[in-house]
Amino acid sequence: MDLQYLVDSLSLFFQQFVNGLTVGGVYALIAVGYTMVYGVIELINFAHGEIYMLGAFIAYHLVTVYHVPFFAAVVLTVMLCGLFGILLDRAAYRPLRNAPRLAALITAIGASIFLQNVALIKWGAQIRSFPQTSLPSFFGKTAFQAGDVQIGWLQVFMLLVTFVLMLVLHAIINHTRTGTAMRAIAQDKRTAALMGIHVDRIISFTFAIGSSLGAVAGILVGVFYNALWPTMGYTAGVKAFAAAVLGGIGSVPGAMLGGVVLGVAEVFGAGYISSAYRDGIAYAVMILVILFKPSGILGKSTVQKV
Amino acid sequence: MQGGLKLRVFIEEHPRSAAALFLAAAALLPWLPMGGATDYVVRVATLTLLYMVLAVGLNFVPGFTGLLDLGFVGFYGVGAYTAGLLMVQYNLSFWIALPAAALHSALWGILRAAPTLRLTGDYFAIVTFGFSELVVLVIRNELWLTRGPMGIPGIEAPMLFGYALNRDWEYFYLMLALLFAVVGISRRLEDSRVGRAWFAIREDEIAAEACGIHIARHKTLAFAVSAAIGGAAGAFYAGWFHFLHPDMFKFWESILVLCLIVLGGMGSITGVMLGAAILIPLTEVLRVGLGRLVEWTEQTGLDWISPDIVNARYLIFGLLLVIMMRVRPAGLFPTVGVTFEMHPACERTRRQLDENRYAHETRENRHALD
Repeated sequence: MDLQYLVDSLSLFFQQFVNGLTVGGVYALIAVGYTMVYGVIELINFAHGEIYMLGAFIAYHLVTVYHVPFFAAVVLTVMLCGLFGILLDRAAYRPLRNAPRLAALITAIGASIFLQNVALIKWGAQIRSFPQTSLPSFFGKTAFQAGDVQIGWLQVFMLLVTFVLMLVLHAIINHTRTGTAMRAIAQDKRTAALMGIHVDRIISFTFAIGSSLGAVAGILVGVFYNALWPTMGYTAGVKAFAAAVLGGIGSVPGAMLGGVVLGVAEVFGAGYISSAYRDGIAYAVMILVILFKPSGILGKSTVQKV
Repeated sequence: MQGGLKLRVFIEEHPRSAAALFLAAAALLPWLPMGGATDYVVRVATLTLLYMVLAVGLNFVPGFTGLLDLGFVGFYGVGAYTAGLLMVQYNLSFWIALPAAALHSALWGILRAAPTLRLTGDYFAIVTFGFSELVVLVIRNELWLTRGPMGIPGIEAPMLFGYALNRDWEYFYLMLALLFAVVGISRRLEDSRVGRAWFAIREDEIAAEACGIHIARHKTLAFAVSAAIGGAAGAFYAGWFHFLHPDMFKFWESILVLCLIVLGGMGSITGVMLGAAILIPLTEVLRVGLGRLVEWTEQTGLDWISPDIVNARYLIFGLLLVIMMRVRPAGLFPTVGVTFEMHPACERTRRQLDENRYAHETRENRHALD
């Protein structure tokens, strides 16, 4: 075989792999929000994708209108979105805690549609992008280059942020009292309440953490693709959900793994099979997982009881 | 909501008179003196009827079997494209394309049952959503078949006895006929053994199975009927609009139809039709009203409202879903005995409806004895 061809295809493969990891890291950040909320209240928070979108837009707004420095804007946005998560839970989901599942699900969809249209009214339907001058200058520079493979500092930054946030999240869940309370609620809400855990407060905290991570993901994607639009949360949300399902819904390490696997699968699928069906890959993966291994890679299978 | 209840009770007790009244009112609509607005009003009325058909079609899945279907618009799209392509590519008559579209959609409804039969709740919702997204992706990308984003222009008008429909009221009557057929089928199924089995599945799947109901068969049937109705509505839409585009069948449409049945009351055929009768004209009013608002803000120089507000009617729909679930989860015109109604107000309504029905039945029994 032609050596040059082999080198080219290998470097393409490596480039795709790194791109996949970057995208997958972002999916993982969003997926964690779905899976944590699902863990504590057994509800798919359809509006989570919209929090991700709002994260991107709020940062954009702060940077362009109020000229807040980028990293300060990120911190502010993350805090605001955490607050939005709590508000969403209070306004929409908490009143329906004991209502039938269908009611909560319809509420979640309603909330998602509502938030999406708030953004549509506020920022319009056209695609926006962060002005280059507002971003840290190292984002545009190349970090590594070998042959055709090129990895920018932005990608390195994204991978690093994702990795660090995942470590922090892991530490919160496994090594703090709040994290223990979260896991207790995921196991059994009533018993957790009897043990003196303030269930509603912990659920709020879960929403805050999930939404903050979603906001970070939104900002990263907005910068990476250099584009924000009001419906961006809807496809990203479904893909992240697919990632959460792939990893096993309710399992945080599963969501991280699922996100990365899905991101890599998507980039390879788009590169080697068909780029037109890029968005379809996530749906196909999700449907296949639900069909053949509904508990996902790391999830525990549950038995339906009467 | 006493008025809504009375209306509901009236329809429950006198289904034929109610149907006759509705038919008479609808038949008269195009001939009412409305000045220059007649065409417009008739078009909106046709659209309302179309959404009534869609609502009745969707109702089979969330309403009767209790599964939240977020992909209904997929069947609508499959039906519309099937009919449109058969008519444009093969010059088939609308009257062949319509049943073909319904059958093709039903086939996909059955195929979709394979991955979704075991699923309930959130999982079912998300897989059906994925299905409708895949339908749009295929329509958009398979250019050889669907022409993708170029759409399908030039779909011919349906012919009736050698005459091509071209006036608004003609389509209106055609739509009315379709609605009556669909509602008739829906009512017969609701009151049949199959309907009872669906309700049993909705109330408690495990208990239903224990009672000997074949869950897979009944669920698949519900999906197929629902899909066929969606497909028929799509075929009508193709014949009426003469043009199809992938963007017409996006997720939004599913949400809109879901809003109709949530507002009207899931599981109640009358309810979901009333939901459409309220919400679709309201959408039109909002569309026109918001357009005026944008014009006005442009004239007065208030630039804090983005012109995109005209597209934001869905904001109200989103809010509607949230509020309905909070205050009236069983809808404005709830059906009898839906487990959904945990709300005390709904419980009262149910009791009242039960009493009415009981009184009605005793009256009928007395007549029977005479």
